[in-house]
Amino acid sequence: MTGDPHAGTDTRDRAIAALAAIAIGIQILEAAIPSPVPGIKPGLANIVTLVTLLILGWRAAVAVTLIRVVGSSLLLGTLLSPAFWLSLAGAVASLALLAALRPFAPRHVGPVGLAIAAAMAHITGQFLLAWAIIIPHPNLPLVLPPLLLTALITGSLTGILTAHVLADPRIQRHVRNPTANH
Amino acid sequence: MNRGLLRWGDILIGTLAAGIVVAAFTLAYSPSGDARVLVINQAGATPQHEPLDRARVLEIHGPAGITRIEIEPGRARCADSPGRQNICEASGWLQAHGEVAVSLPNRLTLQVLGTEPGFDSMHY
Repeated sequence: MTGDPHAGTDTRDRAIAALAAIAIGIQILEAAIPSPVPGIKPGLANIVTLVTLLILGWRAAVAVTLIRVVGSSLLLGTLLSPAFWLSLAGAVASLALLAALRPFAPRHVGPVGLAIAAAMAHITGQFLLAWAIIIPHPNLPLVLPPLLLTALITGSLTGILTAHVLADPRIQRHVRNPTANH
Repeated sequence: MNRGLLRWGDILIGTLAAGIVVAAFTLAYSPSGDARVLVINQAGATPQHEPLDRARVLEIHGPAGITRIEIEPGRARCADSPGRQNICEASGWLQAHGEVAVSLPNRLTLQVLGTEPGFDSMHY
Protein backbone atom coordinates (compact mmCIF):
# COMPACT_ATOMS: atom_id res chain seq x y z
CA MET A 1 0.00 0.00 0.00
CA THR A 2 2.77 2.41 0.82
CA GLY A 3 5.86 3.08 -1.20
CA ASP A 4 7.88 2.96 1.97
CA PRO A 5 7.35 -0.37 3.74
CA HIS A 6 9.41 0.76 6.72
CA ALA A 7 7.27 3.77 7.45
CA GLY A 8 5.13 3.35 10.54
CA THR A 9 1.71 4.85 10.91
CA ASP A 10 3.11 7.85 12.74
CA THR A 11 5.63 8.66 10.04
CA ARG A 12 2.97 8.24 7.40
CA ASP A 13 0.47 10.40 9.27
CA ARG A 14 3.07 13.10 9.76
CA ALA A 15 3.90 12.97 6.06
CA ILE A 16 0.21 13.33 5.16
CA ALA A 17 -0.19 16.23 7.58
CA ALA A 18 2.91 17.98 6.21
CA LEU A 19 1.83 17.49 2.60
CA ALA A 20 -1.68 18.72 3.40
CA ALA A 21 -0.21 21.80 5.08
CA ILE A 22 1.90 22.53 1.99
CA ALA A 23 -1.16 22.05 -0.22
CA ILE A 24 -3.27 24.42 1.93
CA GLY A 25 -0.48 27.00 1.77
CA ILE A 26 -0.27 26.76 -2.02
CA GLN A 27 -4.03 26.98 -2.40
CA ILE A 28 -4.25 30.09 -0.23
CA LEU A 29 -1.33 31.77 -2.02
CA GLU A 30 -3.06 30.98 -5.28
CA ALA A 31 -6.36 32.44 -4.04
CA ALA A 32 -4.51 35.71 -3.40
CA ILE A 33 -3.26 35.94 -6.99
CA PRO A 34 -5.63 38.01 -9.10
CA SER A 35 -6.80 36.07 -12.12
CA PRO A 36 -7.78 37.72 -15.42
CA VAL A 37 -10.78 35.43 -15.65
CA PRO A 38 -12.62 34.47 -12.46
CA GLY A 39 -12.72 30.74 -11.91
CA ILE A 40 -9.50 30.07 -13.79
CA LYS A 41 -6.42 29.38 -11.73
CA PRO A 42 -3.37 27.17 -12.23
CA GLY A 43 -4.27 24.59 -9.57
CA LEU A 44 -0.73 24.31 -8.26
CA ALA A 45 -1.99 22.54 -5.12
CA ASN A 46 -2.67 19.54 -7.34
CA ILE A 47 1.10 19.07 -7.55
CA VAL A 48 0.97 18.02 -3.89
CA THR A 49 -1.89 15.58 -4.58
CA LEU A 50 0.08 13.99 -7.43
CA VAL A 51 3.34 13.79 -5.49
CA THR A 52 1.43 12.17 -2.61
CA LEU A 53 -0.26 9.75 -5.00
CA LEU A 54 3.01 8.68 -6.57
CA ILE A 55 4.95 8.38 -3.28
CA LEU A 56 2.46 7.46 -0.53
CA GLY A 57 -0.36 5.95 -2.56
CA TRP A 58 -3.95 6.71 -3.40
CA ARG A 59 -5.43 6.71 0.11
CA ALA A 60 -2.87 9.24 1.28
CA ALA A 61 -3.63 11.35 -1.80
CA VAL A 62 -7.34 11.30 -0.91
CA ALA A 63 -6.54 12.31 2.67
CA VAL A 64 -4.23 15.15 1.62
CA THR A 65 -6.72 16.47 -0.93
CA LEU A 66 -9.74 16.41 1.38
CA ILE A 67 -7.75 18.02 4.19
CA ARG A 68 -6.64 20.69 1.71
CA VAL A 69 -10.20 21.42 0.54
CA VAL A 70 -11.59 21.68 4.07
CA GLY A 71 -8.52 23.37 5.57
CA SER A 72 -8.14 26.04 2.91
CA SER A 73 -11.87 26.80 2.97
CA LEU A 74 -11.66 27.28 6.75
CA LEU A 75 -8.83 29.78 6.30
CA LEU A 76 -10.46 31.54 3.33
CA GLY A 77 -13.85 31.64 5.04
CA THR A 78 -15.63 29.77 2.25
CA LEU A 79 -16.57 26.64 4.20
CA LEU A 80 -19.97 25.29 3.03
CA SER A 81 -20.30 28.16 0.52
CA PRO A 82 -20.70 27.47 -3.23
CA ALA A 83 -16.94 27.95 -3.66
CA PHE A 84 -16.33 25.17 -1.15
CA TRP A 85 -18.75 22.77 -2.83
CA LEU A 86 -17.24 23.53 -6.24
CA SER A 87 -13.77 22.91 -4.84
CA LEU A 88 -14.94 19.64 -3.27
CA ALA A 89 -16.71 18.50 -6.44
CA GLY A 90 -13.56 19.14 -8.47
CA ALA A 91 -11.39 17.34 -5.93
CA VAL A 92 -13.69 14.29 -5.77
CA ALA A 93 -13.95 14.08 -9.57
CA SER A 94 -10.20 14.28 -10.08
CA LEU A 95 -9.53 11.76 -7.30
CA ALA A 96 -12.01 9.37 -8.92
CA LEU A 97 -10.22 9.61 -12.27
CA LEU A 98 -6.82 9.26 -10.57
CA ALA A 99 -8.14 6.10 -8.89
CA ALA A 100 -9.09 4.72 -12.29
CA LEU A 101 -5.64 5.57 -13.71
CA ARG A 102 -3.71 4.34 -10.66
CA PRO A 103 -3.03 0.83 -12.02
CA PHE A 104 -1.17 2.38 -14.98
CA ALA A 105 1.01 4.71 -12.91
CA PRO A 106 3.89 5.16 -12.88
CA ARG A 107 4.84 2.47 -15.37
CA HIS A 108 2.67 3.57 -18.29
CA VAL A 109 1.38 6.97 -17.19
CA GLY A 110 3.61 9.63 -15.71
CA PRO A 111 2.83 12.82 -13.80
CA VAL A 112 1.94 14.80 -16.93
CA GLY A 113 -0.80 12.39 -18.02
CA LEU A 114 -2.14 12.11 -14.47
CA ALA A 115 -2.16 15.89 -14.07
CA ILE A 116 -3.97 16.48 -17.37
CA ALA A 117 -6.56 13.82 -16.53
CA ALA A 118 -7.01 15.22 -13.01
CA ALA A 119 -7.38 18.80 -14.27
CA MET A 120 -9.95 17.82 -16.90
CA ALA A 121 -11.91 15.77 -14.34
CA HIS A 122 -11.65 18.62 -11.84
CA ILE A 123 -13.23 21.20 -14.15
CA THR A 124 -15.81 18.69 -15.39
CA GLY A 125 -16.89 17.84 -11.85
CA GLN A 126 -17.12 21.52 -10.97
CA PHE A 127 -19.03 22.28 -14.13
CA LEU A 128 -21.57 19.49 -13.56
CA LEU A 129 -22.23 20.67 -10.01
CA ALA A 130 -22.54 24.29 -11.17
CA TRP A 131 -24.84 23.39 -14.02
CA ALA A 132 -27.02 20.99 -12.03
CA ILE A 133 -27.43 23.01 -8.85
CA ILE A 134 -25.73 26.38 -8.56
CA ILE A 135 -26.35 28.08 -11.95
CA PRO A 136 -28.78 25.88 -13.94
CA HIS A 137 -28.72 28.11 -17.03
CA PRO A 138 -29.28 26.48 -20.44
CA ASN A 139 -26.40 28.45 -21.97
CA LEU A 140 -23.86 27.47 -19.31
CA PRO A 141 -22.34 24.73 -21.56
CA LEU A 142 -20.98 27.56 -23.72
CA VAL A 143 -18.39 28.33 -21.04
CA LEU A 144 -17.26 24.70 -20.74
CA PRO A 145 -14.98 24.52 -23.85
CA PRO A 146 -12.68 27.40 -22.80
CA LEU A 147 -12.56 25.98 -19.28
CA LEU A 148 -11.58 22.55 -20.65
CA LEU A 149 -8.87 24.17 -22.79
CA THR A 150 -7.57 25.98 -19.72
CA ALA A 151 -7.60 22.70 -17.78
CA LEU A 152 -5.56 21.05 -20.53
CA ILE A 153 -2.94 23.81 -20.37
CA THR A 154 -2.78 24.12 -16.57
CA GLY A 155 -2.85 20.32 -16.21
CA SER A 156 0.17 20.01 -18.51
CA LEU A 157 2.01 22.71 -16.54
CA THR A 158 1.27 21.18 -13.12
CA GLY A 159 2.24 17.77 -14.54
CA ILE A 160 5.61 19.06 -15.71
CA LEU A 161 6.13 20.77 -12.36
CA THR A 162 5.20 17.52 -10.58
CA ALA A 163 7.76 15.63 -12.63
CA HIS A 164 10.39 18.15 -11.58
CA VAL A 165 9.37 17.92 -7.93
CA LEU A 166 9.55 14.12 -8.08
CA ALA A 167 12.99 14.30 -9.74
CA ASP A 168 14.32 16.39 -6.86
CA PRO A 169 16.83 14.36 -4.82
CA ARG A 170 15.16 15.39 -1.56
CA ILE A 171 11.92 13.83 -2.81
CA GLN A 172 13.66 10.91 -4.49
CA ARG A 173 14.85 9.68 -1.07
CA HIS A 174 11.23 8.82 -0.31
CA VAL A 175 10.65 7.08 -3.64
CA ARG A 176 12.22 3.76 -2.72
CA ASN A 177 10.84 1.82 -5.63
CA PRO A 178 9.37 4.10 -8.25
CA THR A 179 7.85 1.36 -10.40
CA ALA A 180 6.32 -0.78 -7.64
CA ASN A 181 4.44 1.65 -5.45
CA HIS A 182 0.80 2.40 -6.02
CA MET B 1 11.61 9.48 -12.88
CA ASN B 2 14.79 9.12 -14.88
CA ARG B 3 13.21 7.67 -17.99
CA GLY B 4 12.19 10.90 -19.60
CA LEU B 5 9.22 13.09 -18.92
CA LEU B 6 6.53 11.34 -20.96
CA ARG B 7 5.27 7.75 -21.05
CA TRP B 8 3.00 6.52 -23.81
CA GLY B 9 0.07 6.86 -21.42
CA ASP B 10 0.81 10.56 -21.02
CA ILE B 11 0.71 11.06 -24.76
CA LEU B 12 -2.53 9.05 -24.97
CA ILE B 13 -4.17 11.09 -22.20
CA GLY B 14 -2.92 14.36 -23.69
CA THR B 15 -4.28 13.41 -27.11
CA LEU B 16 -7.63 12.34 -25.65
CA ALA B 17 -7.86 15.54 -23.63
CA ALA B 18 -7.07 17.66 -26.70
CA GLY B 19 -9.74 15.73 -28.61
CA ILE B 20 -12.28 16.42 -25.86
CA VAL B 21 -11.41 20.13 -25.97
CA VAL B 22 -11.82 20.30 -29.76
CA ALA B 23 -15.08 18.33 -29.58
CA ALA B 24 -16.40 20.58 -26.82
CA PHE B 25 -15.66 23.72 -28.85
CA THR B 26 -17.24 22.22 -31.96
CA LEU B 27 -20.37 21.03 -30.15
CA ALA B 28 -20.90 24.15 -28.09
CA TYR B 29 -20.26 26.79 -30.72
CA SER B 30 -21.55 25.30 -33.97
CA PRO B 31 -25.00 26.75 -34.52
CA SER B 32 -27.67 24.12 -34.49
CA GLY B 33 -29.27 23.58 -37.90
CA ASP B 34 -32.81 24.15 -36.75
CA ALA B 35 -33.93 27.75 -36.60
CA ARG B 36 -34.90 28.91 -33.13
CA VAL B 37 -35.15 32.67 -33.38
CA LEU B 38 -36.24 35.20 -36.00
CA VAL B 39 -34.31 38.47 -36.17
CA ILE B 40 -36.27 41.34 -37.71
CA ASN B 41 -34.09 44.24 -38.82
CA GLN B 42 -35.74 47.39 -40.02
CA ALA B 43 -33.80 50.47 -41.09
CA GLY B 44 -33.60 52.89 -38.20
CA ALA B 45 -35.08 50.49 -35.64
CA THR B 46 -33.59 48.22 -33.02
CA PRO B 47 -33.38 44.60 -34.23
CA GLN B 48 -36.29 42.61 -32.90
CA HIS B 49 -35.82 38.98 -31.77
CA GLU B 50 -38.80 36.66 -31.95
CA PRO B 51 -38.45 33.08 -30.70
CA LEU B 52 -39.89 30.49 -33.11
CA ASP B 53 -41.76 28.67 -30.37
CA ARG B 54 -45.46 29.02 -31.21
CA ALA B 55 -47.58 29.97 -34.23
CA ARG B 56 -48.49 33.64 -34.52
CA VAL B 57 -48.63 36.50 -37.03
CA LEU B 58 -46.69 39.75 -36.70
CA GLU B 59 -47.38 42.92 -38.63
CA ILE B 60 -44.47 45.24 -39.21
CA HIS B 61 -45.25 48.76 -40.35
CA GLY B 62 -42.78 50.18 -42.85
CA PRO B 63 -42.56 53.14 -45.23
CA ALA B 64 -44.42 51.25 -48.00
CA GLY B 65 -47.07 49.54 -45.92
CA ILE B 66 -47.47 46.50 -43.74
CA THR B 67 -45.34 43.34 -43.89
CA ARG B 68 -47.15 40.38 -42.44
CA ILE B 69 -44.84 37.75 -40.92
CA GLU B 70 -46.07 34.28 -40.11
CA ILE B 71 -44.24 32.42 -37.35
CA GLU B 72 -44.63 28.71 -36.69
CA PRO B 73 -42.59 26.49 -34.37
CA GLY B 74 -39.13 26.24 -35.99
CA ARG B 75 -39.85 28.41 -39.04
CA ALA B 76 -41.04 31.81 -40.22
CA ARG B 77 -42.02 33.42 -43.51
CA CYS B 78 -42.91 36.70 -45.08
CA ALA B 79 -46.62 36.09 -45.83
CA ASP B 80 -47.50 39.43 -47.35
CA SER B 81 -45.39 42.45 -48.17
CA PRO B 82 -45.96 45.63 -50.19
CA GLY B 83 -43.23 44.87 -52.76
CA ARG B 84 -44.70 44.48 -56.27
CA GLN B 85 -42.27 41.72 -57.29
CA ASN B 86 -43.13 39.62 -54.20
CA ILE B 87 -39.44 38.99 -53.53
CA CYS B 88 -39.98 38.77 -49.79
CA GLU B 89 -42.83 36.27 -50.13
CA ALA B 90 -40.84 34.26 -52.70
CA SER B 91 -38.18 33.47 -50.09
CA GLY B 92 -40.65 30.97 -48.65
CA TRP B 93 -40.32 29.46 -45.21
CA LEU B 94 -37.09 30.34 -43.42
CA GLN B 95 -36.18 27.32 -41.34
CA ALA B 96 -32.41 26.69 -41.51
CA HIS B 97 -29.88 28.74 -39.56
CA GLY B 98 -28.97 31.90 -41.49
CA GLU B 99 -31.79 31.97 -44.07
CA VAL B 100 -32.86 35.49 -45.01
CA ALA B 101 -35.88 37.21 -46.55
CA VAL B 102 -35.76 40.87 -47.58
CA SER B 103 -38.41 43.47 -48.23
CA LEU B 104 -36.75 46.48 -49.82
CA PRO B 105 -39.85 48.73 -49.97
CA ASN B 106 -40.26 48.33 -46.23
CA ARG B 107 -36.47 48.42 -45.60
CA LEU B 108 -36.79 45.14 -43.76
CA THR B 109 -34.69 42.00 -43.43
CA LEU B 110 -35.81 38.81 -41.75
CA GLN B 111 -33.27 36.19 -40.70
CA VAL B 112 -33.65 33.01 -38.71
CA LEU B 113 -30.81 31.85 -36.45
CA GLY B 114 -30.09 28.51 -34.79
CA THR B 115 -29.30 29.81 -31.33
CA GLU B 116 -29.48 33.07 -29.51
CA PRO B 117 -25.94 34.42 -29.27
CA GLY B 118 -24.25 33.47 -25.96
CA PHE B 119 -24.59 35.70 -22.95
CA ASP B 120 -25.68 39.29 -22.60
CA SER B 121 -23.41 39.64 -19.58
CA MET B 122 -21.74 37.58 -16.89
CA HIS B 123 -21.35 38.39 -13.22
CA TYR B 124 -19.37 36.74 -10.49
